[in-house]
Amino acid sequence: MTIMGVREEKPGVRVALTGNESIARGALEAGVAYAASYPGSPTAEVLGTLAKVAGEHDIYVEWSVNEKVALEGAAAASFTGLRSLTVMKADGLNVALDFAGALAISGCRGGMVIVVGDDPAAHSSVREEDSRNLCKVIHLPVLEPSSVEEAMDMTREAFSLSEELALPVVVRCVTRVCHASGDVKLGKIARTEREPEFQRGDRVITFGIALHAMQEQKLTRASALFCKSGFNSYTGPQRAQRLIIASGPSYMYALEALEMLDLSRETGVLKLGTTWPLPESLLLDYLINASEVVFAEEVEPFVEDNVMALAARHWKDIGSITFYGKRSGHVAGPAGPGIGEMNPDILAGSLSKITGAAFKSPVLSGRKGALELLGEKMPGRDLALCAGCPHRASFWSIKTALELDGRGGIVLGDIGCYTLGIARTGYHILQTVHCMGAGVGIAGGMGKLDRFGFNRPVITVVGDSTFYHAAVPALINARYNRSNFMLVLLDNETTAMTGHQPHPGRSSTATGEPADTVHMEDIIRGIGIPCSLQDPYDVEATIDVICRMLQQEGPRVLILRRTCALAAVKGKQKNRVYVDGKRCIGDACGCGRFCSKVFSCPANIWDAESGKARIDEAVCNGCGVCATLCPRQAITVERTV
Amino acid sequence: MPGQDRLKRDIIDRGLCSSCGMCVGLCPYIKTAGDMVRVINPCGLAEGACYSVCPKVSLDLREMDLAVFGREREDQALGVVREIYFARAGENRAAKAQYGGVASALAAFALKEGMVTGMALAGGGVLCPRPVLARTVDEVNGCAGSKYTAVPSLAVLNRALREGMSGLGLVGRPCQIAAARKAQAGNLAGDQFSNPQAVGMALGLFCFWSLSPDFYRFAFRRVKGEEMVRMDIPLEGPVVETNSGNCRWQLEEIRPFIKKPCSLCFDSTSEWADLSVGSTEFDPSWNTLIVRSDKGRELVDLALRRGAIEIAQYPEERLPLLRRAALNKKMRVLGLPEFEDGKPGFPVVGRYREQIEAQWGGVNQ
Repeated sequence: MTIMGVREEKPGVRVALTGNESIARGALEAGVAYAASYPGSPTAEVLGTLAKVAGEHDIYVEWSVNEKVALEGAAAASFTGLRSLTVMKADGLNVALDFAGALAISGCRGGMVIVVGDDPAAHSSVREEDSRNLCKVIHLPVLEPSSVEEAMDMTREAFSLSEELALPVVVRCVTRVCHASGDVKLGKIARTEREPEFQRGDRVITFGIALHAMQEQKLTRASALFCKSGFNSYTGPQRAQRLIIASGPSYMYALEALEMLDLSRETGVLKLGTTWPLPESLLLDYLINASEVVFAEEVEPFVEDNVMALAARHWKDIGSITFYGKRSGHVAGPAGPGIGEMNPDILAGSLSKITGAAFKSPVLSGRKGALELLGEKMPGRDLALCAGCPHRASFWSIKTALELDGRGGIVLGDIGCYTLGIARTGYHILQTVHCMGAGVGIAGGMGKLDRFGFNRPVITVVGDSTFYHAAVPALINARYNRSNFMLVLLDNETTAMTGHQPHPGRSSTATGEPADTVHMEDIIRGIGIPCSLQDPYDVEATIDVICRMLQQEGPRVLILRRTCALAAVKGKQKNRVYVDGKRCIGDACGCGRFCSKVFSCPANIWDAESGKARIDEAVCNGCGVCATLCPRQAITVERTV
Repeated sequence: MPGQDRLKRDIIDRGLCSSCGMCVGLCPYIKTAGDMVRVINPCGLAEGACYSVCPKVSLDLREMDLAVFGREREDQALGVVREIYFARAGENRAAKAQYGGVASALAAFALKEGMVTGMALAGGGVLCPRPVLARTVDEVNGCAGSKYTAVPSLAVLNRALREGMSGLGLVGRPCQIAAARKAQAGNLAGDQFSNPQAVGMALGLFCFWSLSPDFYRFAFRRVKGEEMVRMDIPLEGPVVETNSGNCRWQLEEIRPFIKKPCSLCFDSTSEWADLSVGSTEFDPSWNTLIVRSDKGRELVDLALRRGAIEIAQYPEERLPLLRRAALNKKMRVLGLPEFEDGKPGFPVVGRYREQIEAQWGGVNQ
């Protein structure tokens, strides 16, 4: 993680970069002029990195309100001939898809690269979508780096490819590439010297089927170019009968697996860096000699299905091949074929099944192996909201208010840190979670079901960044159609989940320049919806206002505003919070270890030795909420200010 | 003694909670809003103070008499009675006070004289009553006037005790006096109850039932949005006073709003209070005042000497009417088909039952 490395001017130098920094560097080397993104893991750091160097390279960098708007802005730059970059996670491509699909027809001018971060195993996502399928649907070419260095090289080259095809190019990067650090050999940073131009009479239009035919021609050309691309390579014996076709980091796993099984001499590996459209003639060159083909890729059998379709078209020439992969069930992780990540062990296990080569699965494999090795030494660890997280207090208040209300109210969720409301850390309070902003739309529907006899109070929670991103149209709809629900806006004044990026409610932009703040209260009241404000750290008052607002009708909004606990203490001295051992009476109290077991802030721990509650001061962020909830008032907060 | 789980199943979920507030704040899991008391999370403990302080479970009338007064009652209508008077506030009568203003006057006086450190009572307006811990005369006067919905005011008593206060007083409904006495008598977890000085003065109110807050929505429509200044429920039916006049209902109209636990309740005169205060059903400028304990006597004597209240003789001919009303309520409960001695929601009447029936039969109609 070195911005120094990204900044390094001297070509040929080798530096260590993360995959995301490497993508940023690749864009710099391509002379990118305009970069826009909405933060999403695993690619959230790409734009942040570019923002840090924006000034010195005179590039425009923005955090956009959502991915569609980001892509539209980047397209504008491309229409004028500038090179532009958009970065999003797979879910973001869904948001941007309508425009992306149209853009794929109209085409672009200046090189335009869309970096899409896929998250196999859904480490920090609600699903593990394989965006390559969507790229195929909308006719965009896809490059897939298998290493940190390749992420840089591919990003850089994708700009030229885009200009050659007059089509945006997708660089599909998975979490293991984005978040890994690796050694990269730098190229030369290019300064953009282009003058943007979009004259009267210039036209970039999506209309009719003539353009569809052109689009198909562009892909045919791309396929031809890909057959000669250096991103596709072959290692192994000549005329290998057993061929592995691998893309992304699965290529590395395949090499490792072959070594483990001592199969390298007899097995060929065809690395596919350009996964859509397929480099057909290149593939046929290798398929013609093969009698067994194994596919290694994440997540869905994308290359597999398309190569099998290619082989079917050419079966007369290439003869009979047995295909091993997700469809045949041979290449599968513990959760089943096409589900979760690949790794060398999974591939080695698959190859062992296919070839009969001996493979003893290592003891330390997956969760089961870890449990075997560590046994009771490692307690189970839930996903948890951070110490002092205002969402924890908000969820406790919502839970309490709904119990007090007694009408069986329901709570709908959305995307952000607070999605953890589905788990124990959020008291399992959230009952629906889908995608950005969906909770508000679903609430709008729930709030219209009274005529059918559905009379439960409806609460939906949404974060500040998600509110700007996708909740506003649903709120307008609710007002217009007189839906009946309460929106609780969990405003922690940042896009916390992805690393504290700013959003339209903040006073500065991605590059730290002053911004015109768009206040959420103004939007909500402008729509004509009543809006109250409350500090969630004051649990009692929050419960009170939620109880009161539950009694009201129509759409209404409660903003629970409190800065993210991590952002609030950054660079400041934290309040000291401690348990008074005289007041805490441990298990003699009727609370059943409320602070550590139920409220469950990670800073509230149980001291087995004294049989009393304790604060883990290293973890505690000093919010003091637990002190207000302890029934014995045994927790003291020493305020630093 | 069982705990939260049984309290929830036997009392709260069955709508038998009278919202006294005694269990609120003993733990982090029982909370209140408006007149509602709810369990928000299971505590996981098999036993709990919340269950043992609840006046709706295991309330043994005889045991309570012995614990509070050291003797059994002779009068099954009114409980242990030392003296009974007509009483009214002296010069400093609270502006909003009901009838003779004796409850407010005595509460304020006890505070002023330092006989208590704080008074838990139901404050707020008629429309949105809330628990208040009054520490000054002004704060007491601010709470004057009867509230006809249940206010879980013992929650603030609990909180004050937790904060280390002692020698507190309360003005409460019969169920609240019973709850506070149960808490005092019990050997409960935590040390806030072990201090015999914790609750120094219990001023009980006469109470035949309280209403659910739905009543206010009903009443609000009837007074057509005017501010409800005061409310009263004399024998001829409920009255709400607004700035432009009174609005009156038949008792039958508001019966649907009576809280369920109140129709199972046995005690209409706060039988375990130090002093009980109610209407006279006769002269609206006076209250009925029952002196039950030595402590109550002490307060009344001092209040009389300092002119905080004045008293008059209780008219002989009114006593049978008061006793009749109190006994009728008990007989109604005993006559309920679901009545079972000591079943959750009902008291343990035990051998008092025969005496009640005898005395009820003995009262002139």
